[in-house]
Formats: sequence, C-alpha cells, structure tokens
Amino acid sequence: MDMNEKPKVGEKIEDQKPQEVPEVEAPKLPDTKEGKLVAEVLEKAPYAEGNVRRERRVEFKVPADRIKEFLELASEKFEMLIQISVVDWLKEGEFELVYQLWSVSESVHAFVRTRIPRENAKMPTVMDIWPVAETYEREAHEFFGIVFEGNPRLGPFILEPREYEKHPFRKDFNTLGYVKTIYGEDFDRYDESKTNYVI
Amino acid sequence: MTNLEVPKELREEAKAHDMYLHPIDKDTYELFFGPQHMATENFSIILKMDGSRVEKAIVNPGFLHRGFEKLAEQRPYFTNIALLLRICVPESDVPENIYSMAVDEIVGWEVPERAQWIRTVVLEMARMSAWMFWIMGFGNEIGLYTAGQWAAAYRERFMRLFEELTGGRVYHIYTVPGGVRRDIPGDKWLRQLRDTVEYLKGKLKDFDEILFDNYITFERTEGVGVMDKRFALKHAVTGPNLRAVGVPYDVRKDDPYLLYPELEFEVPVLREGDSLARVLVRRYEMEQDLYILEQLLDMGPPSGPYMVKDARLKALPRFKPPKGDAYAHVESTKGDFGAYVVSDGTHKPYRVHIRGPSQSHGVTVLEELLKGARLADVPVILKTLDNCPPDIDR
Repeated sequence: MDMNEKPKVGEKIEDQKPQEVPEVEAPKLPDTKEGKLVAEVLEKAPYAEGNVRRERRVEFKVPADRIKEFLELASEKFEMLIQISVVDWLKEGEFELVYQLWSVSESVHAFVRTRIPRENAKMPTVMDIWPVAETYEREAHEFFGIVFEGNPRLGPFILEPREYEKHPFRKDFNTLGYVKTIYGEDFDRYDESKTNYVI
Repeated sequence: MTNLEVPKELREEAKAHDMYLHPIDKDTYELFFGPQHMATENFSIILKMDGSRVEKAIVNPGFLHRGFEKLAEQRPYFTNIALLLRICVPESDVPENIYSMAVDEIVGWEVPERAQWIRTVVLEMARMSAWMFWIMGFGNEIGLYTAGQWAAAYRERFMRLFEELTGGRVYHIYTVPGGVRRDIPGDKWLRQLRDTVEYLKGKLKDFDEILFDNYITFERTEGVGVMDKRFALKHAVTGPNLRAVGVPYDVRKDDPYLLYPELEFEVPVLREGDSLARVLVRRYEMEQDLYILEQLLDMGPPSGPYMVKDARLKALPRFKPPKGDAYAHVESTKGDFGAYVVSDGTHKPYRVHIRGPSQSHGVTVLEELLKGARLADVPVILKTLDNCPPDIDR
C-alpha cells in the first residue's frame, strides 16, 4: 500500500493511524510468498528489520542482544541452520555474524545478520535450537575467537596446537609473518626484494 | 579377563619410552580409527570401545586443512577458481559452480544460455562420476570389490570426456564467473557422451545384481545407523541422507538454478532412514542423473556465446565487482553445497565461506549414529553418510 495515499472519503482518520506505524518500519515488502513470510516474522519480532532481496532470498537485521530470541522464533518457519558465517570488518571494529537459515517447507533462504564488537566478542549459543550449531560455533570460535556462551566444546577443532588461540581468519592476522616464523629458513622461496607476493 | 592386562615388565619398558599401555578398565579401551584407515579418507575418529561396541565417538578433523578460505581472500576473483575446486575432489565442479554463481549474482551477470547448458551438463557429469567414486568406496567397505573396480573403470570414461572438454582429468578449472572457459569440442564429444550415458544405463543393471540387490549389502546395512526426520532436520542433514528419512528436499527442485526448471526428473524419497535406505536413494538418483543427461543431449546446446560480453573481463586480475554479498548453492552428491561470497569493491573477495554438506553430517550426526554401533559397522555408517573430509576442514 502506498504510504502517501490519502485516506478515502468516509474512512475515519483515527482508524488509519495505528495501521500506518508498522508500515514505516517495513516500507516495501512485496506481495509474494517471501514478503508474507518476512511480515509474519516481523510481526512477532518488532525489534528486527527485514526485507526481501530477491526470489527465495530474505534478510533480517537483528540487534546482538536479542539474536537468540529471534532465532528461536524464526526456527518455527526455518527448519535448518545451514551455516554461521563470520565476516571481520576490521575498519569498523566489528564482527558480522550471518546465520543462514533454510526453510524446507517454504523454500526460502534467510540471512540473519547481527554485529558485535571485535573486542571481547561474545554470543549466546544456539545449540539448543539447532544442535548442528555446535560444529559451526566451534569453527567460528577457533578461526575468529568469538566465545559462544553455553557451548561446551569450544576447544581445539581443526587447527594444530601451535595455531590455536591465534585466530587466523581475523583480518589483522599476519599470514606472511606467521609462515616465516614457523618455517624459518625452510621458507627459502621468499625473497625480501620482491613486493608482489600474494600472501 | 585378566590376561588383557599388560604385563608389568612391558609396562615399565613402555613407561621408559613415554608410553602408557594401560587399558581404561577391563573391557573398555580407546581406538584411533583413521586417518590412515582406508575407509576414512584422511579423517580420524577416536572411538571409546566396550568390547566390540562403540561407547562414544569423537570426530577429530583437521588432517586436510589447507586454509582455502583464507587464501581466497588474498587472490583475485578469477584465480580463486583454481584454488576452491580442490575442496571436494570427487566432484570438483561443484565448488567452481557455486563460487561462480555467487560472483555472478554480486556482479549482476545473466549467464548466456549456451554457458548454462554446458554448466548443467558438467554438473550432472560430475554427479555421475562422483556416484561411481562412491560405489568404489562403499563396495570396498562391505567386501564387494568387483563392484568397486567396475565403478572405477566407468568413472574413467567420464574422466576422458572431461579431459577433452576442459583439459584436466580431476581438476577442471572450467566454470568461471560469467560463463565457462571454452566451448564444447564439437559433435563428436556429444556423441561420445551419449554413448557413455547409454552404456552406463545398461551397466546399472549389473550394479543391481552385484551390489544393490545383493544379500551381503542388505545384511550389512539394514537397520544400521538409523536416524529420524526430526533429528535430521535439526542437524541440517541434506542430500540423499535427508531424502532417506522422508524429506523430499532437493536444491534442484526447491531453489532451481541453471536449466533445472526445464528438466523433468524425480526426487526419490525413502522413509526408513537406515543405511540401506541411504544406499537405495543413491541408486535411484543415479538413474535420474542419467535421465537428465539424456534430456540435455536431446535438447542440444543452444547457439550463442559461452561467456558474457563485458569490458571488465579484458583486465582479469583487476576485475572489480561492486560491493555486496551473495549465497549460492547446488545439489551435490553429498548434499547441499553452498558458497557465501562477500565483496567490498576491491579486486579480491573480502570473505569466502564454503558450506560443505559434510560439516553437518560428518561431525555431530556421525558421533550420534556411531554410539552403540559395532566396530564392523563404523566404515559402513561412514560410507553411507558419504562423508567428504575436505568439506569439514577446507
């Protein structure tokens, strides 16, 4: 419905006012399967923002302190947690966590985004909603150093002991420096005079 | 039994060499299964055994970790193809395709029809050769080596076709953002592909006799490693493993890509959820894949370019897509294989996150299913789940 539409003759203006308030929060949700799904979720979770990206792709932005509440709500519609992607936005000093959900019944993929500060990054675990989150959280903990409170297995997973606690997927991890310290003289292909190394 | 205990002299000698040979108690012991075990493919499971029963299993990945995602952040967009396809060796075309599809979406490219046809054919050929690879492993696991050797020979036919098409046998580096790297060699190649499809259709009956309809297969897999629907959905199990518990989820039907909306095929579903159901779902899918290839060959390659026309493609190392992110996924033989690519507007991707299907069914699900299994069933459960260790390590 167009927001600038004038009230029709015969309708009371007082009746329309409360209806306009949710439309400001979600300005243009298309009248499709995805649009209805987003509207349904946002109705129960007014603190989140949502929009439709394209066919079968929707997106939500949720504040970090209410992420668990939101995912619990979303798990009714989205049965599967496909993965938890972490993006390190170094300049902004934030980690972006993207919980990617798939709805088997509706065939819609949802990105649930949230941002947390890089310093002392902590999140509640979602293991009790989707047990598979245990694996994804172990990975995110090992590579980025995010602590998922309530996950009992946040320990060494994929990396070797000497790489553990270094969090190599952070953008400020010095890959070349690490390789030089570990392999030392064995790393003979490295030439100081060259500047165009890709690592 | 007392004779299970290690003699005192031996224990002292071991202690001098920093080894501790004590069993946990009379019958319980720990067993390191893999990574050198043939069945596990560079994957390790630590089993806590009670006699010949598994009491607890802990998955121990990391033997293959090569840091592909980190390396992908430090290389230009097109160079990453040669890197990411090494994630899943039996079907290396899948990582190529998902990465290319995600980059296509960020740039906003509509892939030409001819390229879409070629990509679909390549993906189905990859699926078929990956099924052959799986039969090889599974046949060896339950002692039916002949089936495995046949499958290896039939896979060779696809490898030859791939070599003629792309120049590589295992790693193809063929699908790139915007299309494919070169055109199909000609009508002779299409005839050869049709011959191979016809040949394999006949050979499926031989596989039925020797493997799928075999008493040994039924004896070894029926009622082993059972999971139910709710468990599978909560653990994000996808692919044939999910279809074996009664959920008809197939990315090709539910989130169609390339030419799949135009093709006719069925999604086989069984309800039992045990190892036998998983094996049979794969058998039915092989038939469907051959049917899809046949339809594609009947359709014929559409005329037109095999690559998008874009001025930016002339300076590939400095190719810069706009800011944005995209997630693309395809149906592989292991399940739902996805890639999440984030672009910050420079010539390298800001973040590439690959979703391997084994990440879900190779860690928590495997640990749950192995509880209470016999030691002899451990490789059977591993192979019927079709675990691909590099999906987990990346």
